[in-house]
Amino acid sequence: MTTPILEIRNLHARIEEREILKGVNLIIPPGEVHAVMGRNGSGKSTLSYVLAGKEDYEITEGEVLLDGENLLEMDPAERAAAGLFLAFQYPIEIPGVATMTFLKAAINAQRKARGEGELSTPDFMRAVKTAGTELNVDTDMLKRPLNVGFSGGEKKRAEVLQMALLQPKMCILDETDSGLDIDALQVVSKGVNALRAANRSMLVITHYQRLLNHIVPDVVHVFSDGRIVESGDKDLALQLEAKGYADFDGAAA
Amino acid sequence: MRQTMPVRLGPAEDTLIAQLNSVGASAEADRMTVAGLPTRRVESYHYTDLKTLLKTVPPLATPANQASAPALRVAGAYQLMIANGVVQGASTAPAGVIVGTTTGGVLSTRDDVLVHLNGALACEALTLTLESSVDPVIQIDRRCEGDAAHVADAVKIFVADNGSAVILETFSGSEAAHVGNHATYLALGKNAVVTHITVDLSSKASSHFASNEYTLAEGAKLRTVTIHAGAGLSRSQVFARFAGAGAHADFTGLNLVADGQHNDITIDIRHGVAHTTSQEMYKQIARGRSKAVFQGKIVVERDAQKTDAKMMMQGLMLSDEAEILSKPELEIYADDVVCGHGSTCGELDEESMFYLMSRGIPKAEAETMLVRGFIAEVLDPIEDEALNEALNGIVDGWLLGK
Repeated sequence: MTTPILEIRNLHARIEEREILKGVNLIIPPGEVHAVMGRNGSGKSTLSYVLAGKEDYEITEGEVLLDGENLLEMDPAERAAAGLFLAFQYPIEIPGVATMTFLKAAINAQRKARGEGELSTPDFMRAVKTAGTELNVDTDMLKRPLNVGFSGGEKKRAEVLQMALLQPKMCILDETDSGLDIDALQVVSKGVNALRAANRSMLVITHYQRLLNHIVPDVVHVFSDGRIVESGDKDLALQLEAKGYADFDGAAA
Repeated sequence: MRQTMPVRLGPAEDTLIAQLNSVGASAEADRMTVAGLPTRRVESYHYTDLKTLLKTVPPLATPANQASAPALRVAGAYQLMIANGVVQGASTAPAGVIVGTTTGGVLSTRDDVLVHLNGALACEALTLTLESSVDPVIQIDRRCEGDAAHVADAVKIFVADNGSAVILETFSGSEAAHVGNHATYLALGKNAVVTHITVDLSSKASSHFASNEYTLAEGAKLRTVTIHAGAGLSRSQVFARFAGAGAHADFTGLNLVADGQHNDITIDIRHGVAHTTSQEMYKQIARGRSKAVFQGKIVVERDAQKTDAKMMMQGLMLSDEAEILSKPELEIYADDVVCGHGSTCGELDEESMFYLMSRGIPKAEAETMLVRGFIAEVLDPIEDEALNEALNGIVDGWLLGK
């Protein structure tokens, strides 16, 4: 059996006294795209932050393996170098740090962590230009400070651009459709679909079915009260859209 | 009637009185005897109580026999040096620059102990007359060399009408516990454009005091950058006066304060005539057990209508034991002006750190990126590439704990 790209076993996490993840189990084999759907406050975004290593959460039980490696022992930078990428729902604005400088630092830090040499400036520029063209990201945007003054669509395109440059094994997309109009959604989805590959898996977190028309998942999971309560194929998303989440709350009880 | 109690003098003050008497500055000696060094009761020294902080003063400097390596090299710069108060021979000056010396103090009289001491103790002043636009960066390398010494030196610069220049002053020297008292007077002629950068790189054992006075004629444009990255105790004073309509200045600075240090930037900006503008932007970064002080005073005189002045201090705390102090003061006597001030203080943003790390950037590197981002507003306007790089290098060095 091939090693799953992501394996989550009985994951429990809390923030201060409140338990948010209450026993998440999830296996994503290589090349598959899984969607996690759930209402606001069900713990979907917490799952993405816990996987990426945000400090605010305390893991009380369970384990997470990324391509067989224990993810929970790594700091966020090590997780990224190991191949995890989180596309943020709300990308952070960082004044004073040029987007280009940031991209180069990120790529080279990951290469260094994996024992590879630094990317030369011409190679870096070429890679950025190629990825940027696909996503309608022009060089002017990259000269601006990171995410500062970017529109909602620009921020999400910049996230997918980073994903394309960093070539992660495991992509987590947290509410990537939020704040996007239909045109922007198509550009971003196209960018994501272009990254689908046999050795790369994705976890798409959303509460609307809309995104899943563009990024068609192999498996859909319903998330409720801190755990997965139902799994199925892409039609499950349509059922959810038609009936709402209420029917699945019972399953969690 | 209030009885004036004689102040109790400490060893630093006794030494200063003897030194003032030895150069025949008896009026200054008397003033020190009566008032002593300023304590926190003196408003302009409220956070920098010199009576407590300056424990001893070394003997007056003698001419230096040898100089240490330059603290900062900027490719293509025209270099001048003052070592232990003595102006050194210089290479041929670039076009438009006249180099000379003069005696006596260079600053206007004002009620300030550092100004008084400098006026009495500086024997020789370097004078620069800039007649036109000067291409190379002019670097004035001011040193305190040899055994611990009390060094007073002075520079007087005139920039002619329509002239322009970038002037860098660096302060450095041997590792001894020097007390440096430096004065610079810079007058900008009509429509002159000047960038004046002062960087303290002296040893941690030393105390660094600098007073910079500026006057701006009609249409003059000035940018100042005051950087503290050296002495254990430092205070840089910026005194400026707008004397001609249409003049504009950006007063900026970086107060980098590490464990055991106390660094103070105090500015006193006077808008004296109508239609002048200024922007004050100071950033303080404190780590370890340290104290960073910024005092910003803007005075708008009665005739200075249509003044536009905006002052900002931003502090970044890199440790729980650090202290960042900020005191803005606006004194406005005109009734048709726009003046504002702001002051913020915080730690490195956790969300930003997480974002950078989530892209694989290790913690230390992410911190450096955020700090560089924090100070970019101050260093980015320096257009000369070699100079900009050198100044960023100082900040990087400071971050690495050098």
